[in-house]
Amino acid sequence: MALESGFPTSQKSWLDRALSLFTDVRAGEGPSALLLTANIFCLLAFKRAAEGTSERAAWMLRGAAVCLAIHTLTAVPLLAQEPTTRAEALRREREAKSTRLTPPESGRLERTLLALENGRLFERILNPAEGFFPKVGNITTGSGFSFGPAYRKRGLFGDESDFSVFAAGSFSRYWMLDAKLTLPRLAGDRMFADLHGRRYDFPQEDFFGLGPDSRREDDVTYGLRSTQVGGTAGIRLRPWLGLSGSVDYLTPRIHPGDGSRPINALFSPVDAPGLDVQPDFIRYEVLTDLNYRQPLGNPRRGGRYALLFQLFDDRNGNQDSFQRFELDVQQYISILKERRVLALHALASVSDAGEGQAVPFYLQRTLGGPDDLRGFRHFRFRDQHLLLLQAEYRWEIFTAVDGAIFYDTGKVASRREDLDLRNLESDYGIGFRFGTSNGVFLRVEGAFGSSAGKHFILRFGNVF
Amino acid sequence: MFSRAPFVVVALFMALAQDSRSAVPRFFPDDPIKTDNDTAFDASRAVPIEGSNGYDFAEHTFGKPGDRRDIRAVNVNTMDEVPDSSWFTNRIGVRAMSLAEIVRGPNELDTINIDGWPIIQEKSTGITPGFRVVDPEGRLYQIKFDPPGNPEMGSGAEVIGAAIYHALGYNVVQGYIVDLDPAKIVIADSATTVDMSGRRRPLRRGDIDRLLDRAARQSNGKYRATLSRFADGKPLGYFKYYGTRPDDPNDIHPHEHRRELRGNRVFAAWLNHDDSRGLNSLDMLESTAGRGFIRHYMFDFGSIMGSGSVFAQVPRAGNEYILEWAPALKTLATLGLYVRPWILVDYPDAGRAVGRFEADFFDPLQWRPEYPNPAFDLMRPDDAFWAARLVSRFSDAAIRAVVAKAGYSEPGAAEYIASTLIKRRDKVLRAWLTQVNPVVEPRLGADGTLTWANAAIEADVASPSASYVLTWARFDNATGTSVAATENVRVSSPRADAPSSILQGAEFITVSIRTIHPDYPGWNAPANVYLRRVLAGWEAVGLDRAPADTP
Repeated sequence: MALESGFPTSQKSWLDRALSLFTDVRAGEGPSALLLTANIFCLLAFKRAAEGTSERAAWMLRGAAVCLAIHTLTAVPLLAQEPTTRAEALRREREAKSTRLTPPESGRLERTLLALENGRLFERILNPAEGFFPKVGNITTGSGFSFGPAYRKRGLFGDESDFSVFAAGSFSRYWMLDAKLTLPRLAGDRMFADLHGRRYDFPQEDFFGLGPDSRREDDVTYGLRSTQVGGTAGIRLRPWLGLSGSVDYLTPRIHPGDGSRPINALFSPVDAPGLDVQPDFIRYEVLTDLNYRQPLGNPRRGGRYALLFQLFDDRNGNQDSFQRFELDVQQYISILKERRVLALHALASVSDAGEGQAVPFYLQRTLGGPDDLRGFRHFRFRDQHLLLLQAEYRWEIFTAVDGAIFYDTGKVASRREDLDLRNLESDYGIGFRFGTSNGVFLRVEGAFGSSAGKHFILRFGNVF
Repeated sequence: MFSRAPFVVVALFMALAQDSRSAVPRFFPDDPIKTDNDTAFDASRAVPIEGSNGYDFAEHTFGKPGDRRDIRAVNVNTMDEVPDSSWFTNRIGVRAMSLAEIVRGPNELDTINIDGWPIIQEKSTGITPGFRVVDPEGRLYQIKFDPPGNPEMGSGAEVIGAAIYHALGYNVVQGYIVDLDPAKIVIADSATTVDMSGRRRPLRRGDIDRLLDRAARQSNGKYRATLSRFADGKPLGYFKYYGTRPDDPNDIHPHEHRRELRGNRVFAAWLNHDDSRGLNSLDMLESTAGRGFIRHYMFDFGSIMGSGSVFAQVPRAGNEYILEWAPALKTLATLGLYVRPWILVDYPDAGRAVGRFEADFFDPLQWRPEYPNPAFDLMRPDDAFWAARLVSRFSDAAIRAVVAKAGYSEPGAAEYIASTLIKRRDKVLRAWLTQVNPVVEPRLGADGTLTWANAAIEADVASPSASYVLTWARFDNATGTSVAATENVRVSSPRADAPSSILQGAEFITVSIRTIHPDYPGWNAPANVYLRRVLAGWEAVGLDRAPADTP
């Protein structure tokens, strides 16, 4: 065994240990050192003898004899201890180890990681299923990094419903309270419903004016505070096809917010409809959702086609009622066995108010920010109608990291007929996505080529 | 003139010293040992250890743990074989196993009916959904389910892997494929689960139902599952693929230099067991004669072949580490224009139970686990040769019989998996039986005729056009040196007569055999055979073929 070739008894003799006081000596090297020393003495003795200095030669020989005596005294006991069988040699190694057993030890990093894994901290952050967990991430576009406590309970009321609630705030003083009771498995998993409510305050919402020609230097902010309660019910016609409807009561309120330049310093209700008075709304919504993306969390093939109709009913004076149609199309073209993906996204949104009515600016669709026109600031463009086209080439660098090259283009318009492919704003960029097939955890991107300069994006979640 | 007495003393001591230096012979009387008795010392004070997935990944991906010297495996006997131990028991390598024996593997029973067995705990580790049950005798089992998208995949992989690893010689736990009838589920009063906040709480029927939502349901309403029986003894966690357990007196061979752990790379490549890492092993403390010893198990074969446990195996598996810098940087720098070759592999649609498994692109030499493994890194050609010989013992019939154990219901699935395993086996043999001089099984008869075999030719991975050049010598076992070597003798078959001048009066002889083969010039490196005279003639006591061991 190497039993034959290597790893003979690795114990140090007392001679090895004694010599180790002076130099680095491994097991078995002590006798060799003594023999070498004895040889040197012998050579010197012969040299002295040849020179005719017999007295010195005699001393050299005595020195050699002393070295060899020590060597022999140590070797003879060793000889007596040499194993006579392989089994005995191995037994001796084990016997020697049995005298120096120690418990296994792990380093601080390993203990920490083990504690994190056992405590399921990562799962609680990334994919919580139940119990208390920290809510981490953005609560809305522009909120910045936010966090807060959250709780999720599954299996209420005979395992039919799930409950979740969170409260989160950001350093930009955005906050949100959100609660939802869902019944996801009704009628044999064919139907679903939920009741939800939320209250929030977004104190620094950017506003640059309406229309595609709004100016960057007109940047002001406003605060938006609202309460929303409602319910949703839907049916899964197929695993990939759902139809749902929802009703919500909204109480949006505008306030000056925390920005250094409030909206009313530059804009009036004429430029920003709804700035003076904000009614309550009932929002009716119908959504048809055809979704066959795979995998759902981080698609590499398939598509999603969603058609949304919303009716905002002004409950105070019927001045701000309007309706909205949206078509959201995503298509994922797999290349090279899904290791490369061409991801395409198109969104068209059309909002129409009745005669003498207006779509409030705070409910208008916007363009600009890390999820649409990434080369522009949040909400850089805003109007009744919107067109957004995005294309991304994504390539897998290794298991948990994808690269992406993207191009975004789009526009807003006050008239439907202006919603064409002329005078589009655009940008391009490159970035990385960190995550798994379950979803993108973090997105790091640089957006360039827009009229608004370069933008660095650090964002939780995928772009679309 | 000076006295001669000191010269006499020096000469005497020199002679003694010379004696003491040659005290350990090359071959002991009990060589080659068949069993390494590594249960002799009491290990009952060993403590459980727990591993971190993240740390294990980082340690092996960014570090180089273990002794990285390129040395011969340290636990082989003088015939270059692995003796039986608490790690490994020679089975298919040393005797003919019947198909039934191979298929049965470690199992004591043919089938098991788990109706009414109480669930005591939700499975707490791994990604596959499951729970723990006890049988009427109180023995503990773990149940794991197949993913809904790939019914029969994980469970099939589990029993196939367990049977093969058992036949190879490893310790594996008993595993059965069972049907769980949800109507007959019993939850023990004391059953618990751990919620997402880390708290243990009573296990409820709703927990079971949610777990079963993530499992493949059969058309009869039952759930097919793998039932694994917990090994006897006290669990002590896992073993690492490097170092030794500091609390186990019997564990003296660094794991990275253990041949059965190095050679596991060959088996893992054959089966695409990319999850072959320390954390998928098991140390159990057993007791015998008042002392404890640790038995080492291979564990969890649910993600071998085309199975990724809860999904079809990813295409990267077996082809690249999770994080491998060179291809990643190339891909990054070229914006994806550089295409790793494995990306282009077409996996036949052989059924959902198969997952992603193929043999055409498979290259045993390039195969990789999920992240580096020290023992795999240190595997040398002689380790791989040893392992490949074990693989060669699996006949086509044996492979088909083992695959049949999985009970695949999809038409063609069993045939596809079996034929793929056979193709991969053949590739493994071609790759690893040919890396060293494949001389095996040397025997010197009492009449002085030496015979041996050529493992590569026997396995039909090399043409039979080999000849051999032999150099005989006497061998001094005390000094480990060869003396009185003969001239080279060339023979065209694995048979030669030993020169009587060498045999006469010799206790030990050695013969160096070089194999001359047009396709494998590397076989010219000698395989050195050592033979000892015994009452009945001669006994082969030593064999080395690693280049580093050549004189």
